[in-house]
Amino acid sequence: MKSVQEMLKARPWLGGVLFAATVGVGVGVGLLLSSVATRKAEGRFAYTAKTDIAADEARNDVWGKAFPLEYESWLQTADTSFRSKHAGNGSIDLLERDPRMVVLWAGYAFAKDYSQSRGHAYAVEDIHKILRTGAPNDTDKGPQPGTCWTCKSPDVPRMMAKIGPGEFYKQKWSDLGSEVVNSIGCLDCHDPKTMALRISRPALVEAFARQGKDVTKSTHNEMRSLVCAQCHVEYYFKGPEKYLTFPWDSGFTVEKMEAYYDSIKFTDWTHALSKAPMLKAQHPDFEVFKMGIHGQRGLSCADCHMPYRTQGGQKFSDHHIQSPLNNIANSCQVCHRESADELRKNVEERQDKVMESRLQLEDVLVRAHLEAKKAWESGADSVTMKPILQLIRKAQWRWDFATAGNGNAFHAPVEVARMLGHGINFGQEARIGLALTLQRLGVKEAVPYPDISTKAKAQELAGLKMDKLHAEKQVFLNKVLPQWLRKAKEREDKLPR
Amino acid sequence: MLKWLRRWVQLLLPPPRWQVPALVLIGLTIGAGGVIFHQSRAWSYLYDDPKACINCHIMMPQYTTWQHSSHARVASCNDCHVPHSSLAAKYFFKAKDGMRHATLFTLGMEEQVIRITAPSKAVVQENCVRCHGFVNDEVSTRNVTEKTARHGEGHLCWDCHREVPHGRVNSLSSVPNSRIQLETPTIPEWMRKTPKDGAKP
Repeated sequence: MKSVQEMLKARPWLGGVLFAATVGVGVGVGLLLSSVATRKAEGRFAYTAKTDIAADEARNDVWGKAFPLEYESWLQTADTSFRSKHAGNGSIDLLERDPRMVVLWAGYAFAKDYSQSRGHAYAVEDIHKILRTGAPNDTDKGPQPGTCWTCKSPDVPRMMAKIGPGEFYKQKWSDLGSEVVNSIGCLDCHDPKTMALRISRPALVEAFARQGKDVTKSTHNEMRSLVCAQCHVEYYFKGPEKYLTFPWDSGFTVEKMEAYYDSIKFTDWTHALSKAPMLKAQHPDFEVFKMGIHGQRGLSCADCHMPYRTQGGQKFSDHHIQSPLNNIANSCQVCHRESADELRKNVEERQDKVMESRLQLEDVLVRAHLEAKKAWESGADSVTMKPILQLIRKAQWRWDFATAGNGNAFHAPVEVARMLGHGINFGQEARIGLALTLQRLGVKEAVPYPDISTKAKAQELAGLKMDKLHAEKQVFLNKVLPQWLRKAKEREDKLPR
Repeated sequence: MLKWLRRWVQLLLPPPRWQVPALVLIGLTIGAGGVIFHQSRAWSYLYDDPKACINCHIMMPQYTTWQHSSHARVASCNDCHVPHSSLAAKYFFKAKDGMRHATLFTLGMEEQVIRITAPSKAVVQENCVRCHGFVNDEVSTRNVTEKTARHGEGHLCWDCHREVPHGRVNSLSSVPNSRIQLETPTIPEWMRKTPKDGAKP
């Protein structure tokens, strides 16, 4: 075989071919390189909104200009026309429907006012109106801390970035009245630059960190639940700083969280009738969901509460966050083949059965609180009463954990039935202790079940002066609130639109 | 044998005068190649992570529609879109498809609405049957291939299951706001800067 030199000597044009080929390869490589670089840059921008939404933009309608489909569906959370068998998206006075709750929460703000929550669009309006936030005015800053605002508005991350979460929680609820005005919306879950899902509340990040987990390592599918888990979880206000904290350090179950609260000797309030050291469950939606079959199969909240939807050939996540029972076709029937009616019946069966046990436990608890009251009145000593009151605390914690959530009976019916079963047992154990105590104190008659057929009667029993509370609230709504809103409007009017 | 090899190497060696430029040229090629390998995330094509399919952004509608489907829980892109008859077949198909994609994309010749090609159809059909074959025994679709379907004998799975798993329309316009998290800042800047006691960031 000849060497290249010899070949070139014989055919000089071969050198030209070789040269051209090399140039060709060089151009190809260069082209590929520049193409990769351009396309990568393009990819970064092609999927990012062509808007300049500010990093702390809390006004939902400003985002809505760039994302009309999502925004319009979010607006639909203002709909209040849907009623399911046990709940719905309109306001339902739950104390009127079940006055036993008033007795169970005697001495705590929930006995004053507790309603079925409406859609995200009403979060701010409803916290203004609810009696639990009291009636702040010029001289009295009201009962609640800034922490109560945490889950109500995209103004919250805006303010936290400004003054720090610690300071935010420490303020009075009324201190922030003119700052927090936009209802739960875009900035709560999205990064304004990339629209990626994002955690905006420190409590979740901190709870993960305490368990040695890094929330920033979450997958996209996990994020589709975690943005909800910023709020739809069990929480408490820690210490005098009222620092929002999730009691997740030892685990998610009703017992594990109870152990956590017991270990730090935490008590939400002392019961007005029984003097029991009570716990109030908030709404452990995320935790209970994770313990149910849909959670165990790896579904996310958004799969059912924000299903994909088509409009004019465009697909997007439905931001009308609501009960899937109002949208069975897009939620349940994506996976289940049964008819909508059949599926609704399946859900209602679980809810009905859980409700049976729940109401039994409520009756047990009403009786236990009143019998404990009777025992104190008859001269019982605190050494005898302490273990009994502990049992009442345990029983009602289980009742509240099962009841306070949105959709617990559907999310994890077996787990909820289990905790209600344990609750009934603890409640009846308390009543055995009370029966023995009352007998020893010479009480011969059974403590009669009170007439709590209406909310008003139950609230009288709990020692509440409702007329006064309502009158004060009216003053707040007519005089103080308009000032807050005016101040907020002046501030927002100065911002670019 | 060794002699034969040496002869070949000698044949490929450039003449002495050309050795320096040749070395420079080879160095440049390897260097540029390395940059391309890194920039284009070329190693990712050796594995099964679906994220590799959105190294080029034009596949994002396909990616999001898959991601929102039930198949996302059990099947990656490769489970359906490359053959699984043998490792060789898998990588040959990957390489063949990859070269085609790289060429079209570099020259800006990609379609606005991406449609599946015939060889790709054949592979997907095989893979439908690979997983669902047992269930489908009763409806006797097991023997349908891309070829038989083309000749009017039987239908491909997605001739009926048209929404599985990408939905019916999957150009960019059908999923305008389905953003993929290229970079994932899951918590805002101010929260990263906030000290442990919750003081001002």
